[in-house]
Amino acid sequence: MHARRPSDLVVVGLALACLFVMPVRAAAETVLRTRLNADIRSTDPGTNRDANTDGVVAHLVEGLVAFREDTSVGPMLAESWSVSNEGKTYTFRLRQGVKFHNGATMTAEDVVWSLKRWLDPATQWRCLSEFGPSGIARIEKIEAADPQTVAVTLDQPTALFLPTLARPDCGQTAVIHRDSVGPDGKWIAPIGTGPFKLGEWKRGQHIDVIRFDGYASRSEPRSGYAGAKTAEVDRVRFNVIPDSSAAKAGLLSGSLDVISALGVPDLDDLKSRPEVQISVTPALGLTGILFQTRDPLLKDVRIRRAIALCLDTAEIADVVMQGTARANNSALPIGSPFYGEVQTHGYTQNIAEAKKLLVEAGYRGQPIKMIANKRYGFVFDSAVLVQAMAQGLGVNIEIEVLDWATQLDRYNRGDYQAMAFVYSARLDASLSFEMLMGPKATQPRKIWDNPEAQEMLRQSMMTDDTAKRQALFDEMHRRFIKDVPMIVLFNGAELAALRKNVKGYAGWLYPQPRFWGVSVQ
Amino acid sequence: MLGYLARRLAMTVPTLLLVAIGVFTLVRLIPGDPVQVMLGDAADPAQIAQMRAQLGLDQPIPLQFVHWLARLLTGDFGHSITDNLAVLPLILERFQVSAVIVLVAVGLAACVAVPAGLIAAWRQNSALDLAVVGSATLLLSIPSFWLGLLLLLLFGLKLKWLPVIGYVPFSENFWQAMVFMLLPIATLTMIEIGVLTRMARAASIEVLRLEYVTHARAKGVPEWLVLGRHVLPNAFAPTWTLIGLVLGHLLGGIAVIETVFTLPGLGRLLVDSIFARDYPVVQGCLLFTAVIYVVVNLIVDLCYPLFDPRVTVA
Amino acid sequence: MRVRTNTAIGGVLMALVLGAAATAAFWTPFDPLRVNLRARLQPPSSLYWLGTDEFGRDVLSRVMAGAATSVVVALLTVTLAIGFGVMVGVVTGYLRGWTDRIIMAINDALLAFPGILLALAIMIVVGANKFGLVLALGLAYIPSVARVVRGTVLSIREKEYIEASRVIGNSELYSMLRHVLPNAVAPVAVLATSMFGWVLLAESALSFLGLGVPPPAPTWGNMLAASRPYMESAVWLGMAPGLCIALTLLGINLLGDSLRDRLDPRMAHG
Repeated sequence: MHARRPSDLVVVGLALACLFVMPVRAAAETVLRTRLNADIRSTDPGTNRDANTDGVVAHLVEGLVAFREDTSVGPMLAESWSVSNEGKTYTFRLRQGVKFHNGATMTAEDVVWSLKRWLDPATQWRCLSEFGPSGIARIEKIEAADPQTVAVTLDQPTALFLPTLARPDCGQTAVIHRDSVGPDGKWIAPIGTGPFKLGEWKRGQHIDVIRFDGYASRSEPRSGYAGAKTAEVDRVRFNVIPDSSAAKAGLLSGSLDVISALGVPDLDDLKSRPEVQISVTPALGLTGILFQTRDPLLKDVRIRRAIALCLDTAEIADVVMQGTARANNSALPIGSPFYGEVQTHGYTQNIAEAKKLLVEAGYRGQPIKMIANKRYGFVFDSAVLVQAMAQGLGVNIEIEVLDWATQLDRYNRGDYQAMAFVYSARLDASLSFEMLMGPKATQPRKIWDNPEAQEMLRQSMMTDDTAKRQALFDEMHRRFIKDVPMIVLFNGAELAALRKNVKGYAGWLYPQPRFWGVSVQ
Repeated sequence: MLGYLARRLAMTVPTLLLVAIGVFTLVRLIPGDPVQVMLGDAADPAQIAQMRAQLGLDQPIPLQFVHWLARLLTGDFGHSITDNLAVLPLILERFQVSAVIVLVAVGLAACVAVPAGLIAAWRQNSALDLAVVGSATLLLSIPSFWLGLLLLLLFGLKLKWLPVIGYVPFSENFWQAMVFMLLPIATLTMIEIGVLTRMARAASIEVLRLEYVTHARAKGVPEWLVLGRHVLPNAFAPTWTLIGLVLGHLLGGIAVIETVFTLPGLGRLLVDSIFARDYPVVQGCLLFTAVIYVVVNLIVDLCYPLFDPRVTVA
Repeated sequence: MRVRTNTAIGGVLMALVLGAAATAAFWTPFDPLRVNLRARLQPPSSLYWLGTDEFGRDVLSRVMAGAATSVVVALLTVTLAIGFGVMVGVVTGYLRGWTDRIIMAINDALLAFPGILLALAIMIVVGANKFGLVLALGLAYIPSVARVVRGTVLSIREKEYIEASRVIGNSELYSMLRHVLPNAVAPVAVLATSMFGWVLLAESALSFLGLGVPPPAPTWGNMLAASRPYMESAVWLGMAPGLCIALTLLGINLLGDSLRDRLDPRMAHG
């Protein structure tokens, strides 16, 4: 057996090396890989959707207006607008030269068609009820005055028209091309105006969005869902990975670039890794302890107040969210433009006072059942801490863990004594109150039934005057603290973990990631 | 033989019918509402009611059952409430993943377990036997998901030998798919080796004790021939039955492994849809699993005589 | 020799577990539920022998309390399954005919479900608590017990001593019970030990999937599930309950083996 010549080995070695190197070289495409904890529901904006769906769809479509970073409403497809007719008619001037993904240019016709489609009950648009009998106003007329102008007339003035159009959970009232649906009216795929277009969607595995080269970006800097949106990568792949430990492992091993809705328990571990950077932004969601004020035991405000006074809310927020959230007892999130000095006054821990209240109320140690769930770790952890702190007071709280669907059911029926709950983000201060308030007789899911405050809420929705609304919200806050229908604990934070080579990512108040303006080096 | 087959199949019908009724009732008993889950906390009762009407959820329950059953018989398992996909194709797609893991794992495990069990039985009560049984018992005592997580940590993160997330269907790229399946299959295989070794050993002990074995030995047949020609095939039969049982039940336990390794399998589909209250999918999955179980047992029963000529089918 | 080794090791392990469970009933080093935010995620030390968890609770105390809960749940489940399983098995074996066919059809229908999934569905219906868990897991095992007992009944029925017993004048039922039950003890006992182990595993799997005995009350299952985010950073959180489950199961299986060997002498000797 003759000895192998070294050059033979070198050749073989090189050949093998090429096999490994070549596939990597062939694709020069830049891809950003991120994670969804569940597959999206559909690509039809604002119809069959959930939070994940909204997040992905926001890369594909745009509406007339969009939310800025500070939750104010800014222009997107509309260049500008004017309000006339005692606040009932909105006239939008459209931007010029905006292209759809299929190359067609956007005109007023497309806007009218899209609006009409959303208002058609068959589409099942989430915000349809806002324009119905129990909503903010009825839309009486939509017309295209000329190819660049659309006028919408309501039946009454409201401060919430533009915020409703901008709602991400309603697909931002997207302007889409009519070829997005087939001749039979069935949904095909979104042909929108966004910086990305729909790529491959492998159900249960991943969904891709691909850079749209014809995107006409706005000039102002990126702000929330408004401003400039340039796609800096060729493709974003949203991988469906329900298991957060698996996602974390993926990030660490380099198969993922971004994890956008990072869970708090993973924070510690990832913070210490050199290849990972963490992004923390205050969130608009609300975590708190709800009380059923109709419950025979808890209808006594003294007991509710005693529990509120025994809590060290700052500690709860700090421990549960590991320093990424601040305590907040107000119904308005800290990020809201209407959150001011008044809203910082909540419940100050006062054990002596709490004990006094319990004695006055004649509490004899009856157990209080508090429902919690394991789906949201911070909700459960908050419940545990509240229970522990109440224990110190002599209040006997029993935690009952239900799965999320069951808890939602009990919430909607008002069938509970107490529950630890989390509300999704509301982008307007009135909506933040509205989600909590209402007459319990007709809306059993509402927490706070106070007719005077209700009237104040109604007024806050009608007027556009910032000073007036602030005064109303301040007064509502004072009553909210006095009545203790619930204890708001904190607003949480949006945490994201990114590999060091990801540049340009920024979280914002709304809990969905934005991948325009983000590049992978 | 065909007559027997037909009769056995006929006997499964009432069972399956009972399963269908049971599944349907059970699912409806669960509190919570798929529409509420879909629409979340920001939905008002009007929206919820509208969607329920659209999905036909507001009809009386017996009527819903009859509709469902009628469509079942035509092969239409309905559509998922959450994403409107047809249920049966979805189940079949997911089933492929679970089936691959289960079949490969059990197959590999059997290859190791049957010889190991045989050897342990052959040298019963020796140190070797103790070692084999001890290891097997230890393996099956470990919770499957814990083992999976440990393997993932070791091979995925610390050593970086294998990918941590992802899945490629076999139809796309066989070798790539195998890489992703390696760890979950390994996890399941290790546990099943534990289970099957003990079964194989018990079965082998039974056989070794039998007269024709002692007879063969008395005749002077070399030991390895005794083991290979007489003991192994006969020990395999009861093990085969138990494999059938195990296969059926594995479909349940595999949900945790699929969760740990994020594989789009049937177990996870069922768990996810239970939490989402996606009635058609839950019903479809449970019914499908029951059918598989029944079919597997039927096959096992029918194959039994292949291994043991004393047993006749009728 | 093997029987004795099995019994020895299995016995020791089970004694440890039962001992911990019994002790936990009136004493644990710390209160397993007491939250101590200043001592979160401490590694094992002389103060906290197994460290603390994310709420500062002592892991050793929780493991002991978890032993108590897990053991109680498993015992209750086994009792439920055996109680009803024996009843069903005896009734169907004795009555035969249509009653037998119908009940067995339902039995087989239940058997066709993977146990964990059935338990999951039942738990959501009944609620995630100890009662629901026992009911769900017990229901999953009743069909197996029923089958085994029925099999024993059928094989005993035709035996001579039944005839003899009847000739003497005892009622059929009495004869059956008197002769069936002792014969059924062996296979049922073996089934019981494997069931015990399965319940432990099932409870931890259900906790992992999001149900099972809900926290903050500790069970090994929910402790293991809660330790997942800390698998790398606080290894002891997952190791403690994981090892407990594994070792307890090992003990159970070894004891079950020695039990089977004792009851079936053929198995004990080569």
